[in-house]
Amino acid sequence: MTLYNPNLLTYFLLASSMDLSFYIFVSMALFAIGIIGVLSKRNALIMFLSIELMLNSVNLLFVAFSYSWGNSVGLVWVFFVLVLAAAEAAVGLAIIINLFRSKELVDVDQYNQLKG
Amino acid sequence: MELVLWLGLFLPLAGALLLFVCHNFISRRNTGIVGCSLVFFSFLCFVKLLYEYSQGIYLPEVTLFSWIQIKGFDADFSLHLDHLSLLMALIVTGVGFLIHLFSIGYMDHDEHFVRFFALLNFFIFSMLLLVLAAHLLVFFIGWEGVGVASYLLIGFWYERPAASKAAKKAFIVNRIGDLGLLLGILLTFHIFGTGNIHEICRRAPLEFTVGAPILAAIALLYFWGATGKSAQLPLQTWLPDAMEGPTPVSALIHAATMVTAGVYLVVRMNPIYTTAPAVLTLIGYVGAITSLYAAFSALSQKDLKRVLAFSTISQLGLMFLACGVGAFYAAMFHLTTHAFIKALLFLSAGNVVHMLSGETEMDKMGGLFQKLPKTAFLFLIGALALSGIAPLAAFFSKDLILEEASLTGYTTLYSVGLLVTVLTGFYLIRAYCLTFTGASRVDAKLWKNLHDAPSVMMIPVTILALLTLFGGLLGYASSVPPLLMSFLDKDSQAFFIKALAFGFHLTTDVWFSLAASIAGVGLAAFIYTNFRERLSRGKLAEFLYQSFYINQLYAFLIVRPLQFFSQLSSKIFEPKIFEGIIPVCTHVTNSTSRVLQELQSGQIRSYISWIVVGSAILLVYLVFEGFYA
Repeated sequence: MTLYNPNLLTYFLLASSMDLSFYIFVSMALFAIGIIGVLSKRNALIMFLSIELMLNSVNLLFVAFSYSWGNSVGLVWVFFVLVLAAAEAAVGLAIIINLFRSKELVDVDQYNQLKG
Repeated sequence: MELVLWLGLFLPLAGALLLFVCHNFISRRNTGIVGCSLVFFSFLCFVKLLYEYSQGIYLPEVTLFSWIQIKGFDADFSLHLDHLSLLMALIVTGVGFLIHLFSIGYMDHDEHFVRFFALLNFFIFSMLLLVLAAHLLVFFIGWEGVGVASYLLIGFWYERPAASKAAKKAFIVNRIGDLGLLLGILLTFHIFGTGNIHEICRRAPLEFTVGAPILAAIALLYFWGATGKSAQLPLQTWLPDAMEGPTPVSALIHAATMVTAGVYLVVRMNPIYTTAPAVLTLIGYVGAITSLYAAFSALSQKDLKRVLAFSTISQLGLMFLACGVGAFYAAMFHLTTHAFIKALLFLSAGNVVHMLSGETEMDKMGGLFQKLPKTAFLFLIGALALSGIAPLAAFFSKDLILEEASLTGYTTLYSVGLLVTVLTGFYLIRAYCLTFTGASRVDAKLWKNLHDAPSVMMIPVTILALLTLFGGLLGYASSVPPLLMSFLDKDSQAFFIKALAFGFHLTTDVWFSLAASIAGVGLAAFIYTNFRERLSRGKLAEFLYQSFYINQLYAFLIVRPLQFFSQLSSKIFEPKIFEGIIPVCTHVTNSTSRVLQELQSGQIRSYISWIVVGSAILLVYLVFEGFYA
């Protein structure tokens, strides 16, 4: 239940070697940055990049756990995520290009025609 | 041989479909040929089967296709031809064919000639399906088909309000009976796990002790259905009104075939009934009361066809009386002779009605013997036969019923039967006298051109008269079992458990019943030839004419409250209550959706925020759940 430890940050900073906790910390930080990026930016390309960041933070976690437990299942998942990210890049970029063609804009807030 | 059976069943249906499809361009002559010949071929099929059966070659149960297949439940479209259903099929197609032939003459001037024959053929098909069914569901299809056909035929002249009203009445009253039958079928499925009639009949006496309440319930529900179709108390009111249909329809549906379906059902299910003797006794008493009620009502009717209608109810009551004392064979015998006689009576009455251009009131007949001697003679044969005068057909069958009632110790039922015999003779001879003797009350112009019916109408009636004259011999034998009984006894079911060893034997009972019928006939003949002019209609006559005011009673007890309730619904419930509630519902839905639709902003970032918030809540929930577990 380290999530509730008030001295979580101190604990990581004082850690003498690069153990598992450090990777978890980095991964969570990357994920949080990704979320904030998606939520706060209006540029579709930046949002897209943020999503990629989130995916990669998960990848990092997979690799770290896989290494720590000596189990290759996590590595297999990494490849799945990579393939998913590639597919997403293909589809997402195509969508963004089409959006740009219609309005010459990549600001997602301007595309709000589908409201109730 | 299996093919012959299928042909026999489906030829009338083919006729109905053919006539229905071609009704725009088929000529009258061809309609008559198609309608009659297909029923005749069907009759020939059953004659062929009769020949095979007499040679001892029996058909097993045949299945056309399987309807529903679920584990523990079967519904095959299957037929079973045993001697009982063969007898019924022969009556239905044989008498039906003669009535078809008669209809060619009777419906000559009707513009819906083709529709009439299509419906008649469909009726014959439904009735055949009913009698041949090996499975309760198939039986039910036939049962309902007969109901539909009767509705369409009674209301054949739908332009006349009385006819369409009578058709609706027949249909609705029959529905009430059908509910009972349907419940009985469902209960049977539940108890026996199968709908195969013969398996049920075989297993019922083996698996249940005599008087088992669940079996009594099944028997009672079946009898409920039978009261609807066979017009027994308390569901008898539709049959007299059904006389609004064309006369051949009355002959076909309301005398020879359809109304016997109830009797057939009870006889077919007789192993169940013998295992539930209390219900059987109830049937006997219901039959007796109905018989007496209808005989009294017939005494005072003004309409020739209504006299015959009440006499049908009365005779059906006698058949149920016979079933009630366990004399299923006697019931079937009376059913057979009654089919011949009642068809004869209806068709000769039809001759009269046809020649008088549709007049059925006996007040406007009289003296017709001079103009229609042949018809009068044939009607007289029928009347005497149904009254039970020896040696005509119904003498043997009615006497057998009375004897069985007397021998099994049901003295009340026996005396009711005797009284009904007296009354039967009385009302039939009264109808004969009012119609054919005395001074003519027919319109003078019509009177001049009156003549006997054409031969296409006379031939079927004559054949029926011959059957009436000699039909009794089917059940006559002094020492060996009579023909009909040995025929029916070949069935694998233990059919006639309580039946006497043989049909007719001279005991004192015979003299009683013969005396009763002669008394009735003689009294009516005496009164209506000598004192007719002095008869006035008193209150009693009106009471009987209205058939004990039962129609009015039902109108008061059932129809009025229903009408009142429907008025209440349309005047108060609908405009005040429902039209008040529905706008409230729409308003609530509208305002809720207006609030909720704000959430669908079209802003993709707000959607993502909701996703993140939702995921966070889920995550927290999962973590806490793990924490406290």
